[in-house]
Amino acid sequence: MAATPQGLLDKRVVVVTGKGGVGKTTVALSLALEAARQGQRTLLAELAGSHQVPAVFGQASQGYEQQQLAPRLSTLSITPEAAIEDYVVQQLRFRALYRVVFENRVMAPFVAAVPGLHDVVQLGKIWELEQATDLRGRATWDLIVVDAPATGHGLTLLTSPRSMMALTVAGPFHDNARLVRDLVEDPSRTALVLVALPEELPVNETLDLYERLDELQAQVGLCVLNERHPEPFDALEAWPGIRSALAQGPAPLAQAVGLIDRQVARAQAQRTARRRLEEGLSVPTVELPFLFHRRLTQDDLTGLGRRLTEAL
Amino acid sequence: MGQVIVCCGSGGVGKTTTSAALGLALADQGLRVAVLTIDPARRLADALGVGALGNDSQAVPLAQVLPGATGSLDAMMLDMKATFDGVIRRYSPDAEAAERILGNHYYQFVSTRLAGSHEYMAMERVLELHGSQGYDVLLVDTPPTRHALDFLSAPERMSGVMNERVMRWLTLPGTARGFRVLERGSQTVMSVLKRLLGSQTITDIAEFFAAFQPLWTGFRERSLELRALLHGPETTFLLVSAPTPAATAEAREFLEILRARELPFGGLVVNRVAERPADLGPVALPAALSGLSPETWAAVSRALQGAADHQRRLADGQGPVLEELLSTRGDAPAWQVPQLATDVHDLDALRQVARHLVPLARLVASGSTPVEEPVPRA
Repeated sequence: MAATPQGLLDKRVVVVTGKGGVGKTTVALSLALEAARQGQRTLLAELAGSHQVPAVFGQASQGYEQQQLAPRLSTLSITPEAAIEDYVVQQLRFRALYRVVFENRVMAPFVAAVPGLHDVVQLGKIWELEQATDLRGRATWDLIVVDAPATGHGLTLLTSPRSMMALTVAGPFHDNARLVRDLVEDPSRTALVLVALPEELPVNETLDLYERLDELQAQVGLCVLNERHPEPFDALEAWPGIRSALAQGPAPLAQAVGLIDRQVARAQAQRTARRRLEEGLSVPTVELPFLFHRRLTQDDLTGLGRRLTEAL
Repeated sequence: MGQVIVCCGSGGVGKTTTSAALGLALADQGLRVAVLTIDPARRLADALGVGALGNDSQAVPLAQVLPGATGSLDAMMLDMKATFDGVIRRYSPDAEAAERILGNHYYQFVSTRLAGSHEYMAMERVLELHGSQGYDVLLVDTPPTRHALDFLSAPERMSGVMNERVMRWLTLPGTARGFRVLERGSQTVMSVLKRLLGSQTITDIAEFFAAFQPLWTGFRERSLELRALLHGPETTFLLVSAPTPAATAEAREFLEILRARELPFGGLVVNRVAERPADLGPVALPAALSGLSPETWAAVSRALQGAADHQRRLADGQGPVLEELLSTRGDAPAWQVPQLATDVHDLDALRQVARHLVPLARLVASGSTPVEEPVPRA
C-alpha cells in the first residue's frame, strides 16, 4: 500500500530527489515547512554543500552548523569534508589524530578518493541526526527532510552504504555503513519523494530512476509534479478552422495564436506527464502550481506544503 | 589543432540541448564537429535522435535536418568503464600488468565510483579526440555544476591521488602485513586508516596501488597534458544557464571558480527565456470568420488575450532573475534562447534552438574564440 503524504511526514527521514532543475529544494522546503506547521520538530538537510535554503528566510547560511529558520524548523548544509571530519573525530575521539591523518598533505587526497566515501559520510551525518536525543532521551528531530542531489547521483547516494559495505568487507567503517543502510532501507523510517516537471525528459528520468531503485522502490511515498502551468485555453471544437483564419491576421494576432498553440501543447504535455507517472509509479502523484514570480517566499512555500498534504 | 568548447552549467538548464544545437549550428557553418556527453543520462542521444550512444561516434543524419550543410556532426557518449580499461591497457608495460589491475577487486570500484574518475575519463576521452585531429570543434557536454567543478579539477585530483608518496607508503614491501619500514608518522596514519576502514580494505587498496605503480608515469604525464589543454588557447568554457533563482546562484558560483582557476570563459547561453509578447489590443472579427457565433468569438477573443497575458506574466516574473543572471557574466557575451513550445527532444526542435545560436557559431567558425571577440547580446 502506497504511503499517503500524511504518512510521509510520520517517517523519520524523507529524501527528496529528481532531475536537476525540477525544484527539489522547493519541494523539500515545502514539506519541511508543512511538517513544522503540524507541530513536528523538523530539520532540513541540504547536501553536497548546497545552501540555498537560509536565504529564503533572509538568513545567511551557517553551513554545517544547525540554524533555526522558523518555529520548529531548522536547517544545515552538509559537505562531505565536514561530514568526514565529524565522523572521524567521533570515531577516533581525538581531533589531533584527525589532523595527523586527514590534514596530512600526502594522505588527504588519497582518503578523499576512497570510492563512495563522500556519499556515505553525508548519509552517516543524517543517521547521526536521526539518532540524536535530548536530555530526556527524546529524539531531537521528529523529521529530517533531505534535499538530495539529482537523480543519477541521488541513486549513488542512496546505495552508497551498500557499496561501502561491499568495499570494506569488515571493520568499523563497514559496521557503521550497515547502520546507515539499515536506516535508509527501512520503509518504516525512511521515505523517498521523487520530483519531476510536467515535461517529457524529466518524466523519462523519473521513471528510469524508479526502475533503478530496485528494492528501494517500496520506499517511494510520493511523486511531485512541480510547476504545473494553468491551462487557460478551453479547447473549442471549431478551433482548427478558426486558428488558420486568425494566423493570417496582423503580427500581434498571429503571435497570440502561436502562444495558444504553445499553451495547447503544454497542456497536452502536462496531461501526458501526469498519466505516465500515474501509470509508471505505484505511488500518488501530486501537482504543484507554477508560480510566475520565480523567487519564492516563505508564504509561497507554506502554501505549496499545504497543497502537498491536502492533495490526497 | 581543433577548438575545444566545454559547455558547463547546473542540471536542468538545457546544457545537453545547447551542446547538441550548437553542434548543428557549427556543422551548418561547414565545420567538422564532435559532441561528447559525459552525462550519465541518455539525453544527448534522445535529443539527437541517434539511438543509444557509446564510446564510438555516431554520425548525425545532417542531410535530413540541414540540407546543404557542408560540415559534419558526430555524437558520442562517454563509456566510462571502456575508457578506463583502455587507459589501463595503454599505460601498462605488458598485458599481464594490465590484467592484474583489471581483475583487482578495488579497481571495480575505482573504475566506476572513484570520486572524479568519471570526469577524469571524460577528459581522457577529450584528449584522445583532440589528438585524433579529425574534428574542427570538439563540444564537451559536462555533468551538472557540482560535478562540473570536479571535472575541472579532475587532472589535479587524479594526480593527487596517484601521488608518488602515497604510492610509496602503500606499496612498500610488506605494507599490507605490517608497517615496519614506515616512518613513525606514517605508521600512525596507517593504523588509523586500518581502524577506520578495516585492514582487509587497506590490503586491497595497497595491492591495487602496487599493481598500478608501473602505470604511474604515464598517468601523471597525461594529467599534465589534460591540464595544459584545459588552460590552452584552443579551449573555451561556455556557461549554459536558465533564468531561475537556483540556476542563477549556481552560475555565479561556477563563474567564480572559472575565474579563480584562470580558465577561459567564452560567454553565457541563457535558455528558456520568456519573450514579452506584442500588445494585442482589441481584436476585430476577421471577415473569414464572419459566420462565427458571438459566443464562440467571445471565447476565442478571451483565449487570445489570455494567451498573451500568460506570456506577459511569464516574462514579467522572469525579468528580475534574467537581469541578475545576465549581470554575472561581466564583459563576456551572452546569447539568449527563447523558451520553445515543447521539450526539445528531436532534431527539428534542436534546429529551432540552433537558429538562436548562429551568431555564436559564426564566431567560433571565424576562428576567434568567443572570449576574444565579444558580440552584442541578442
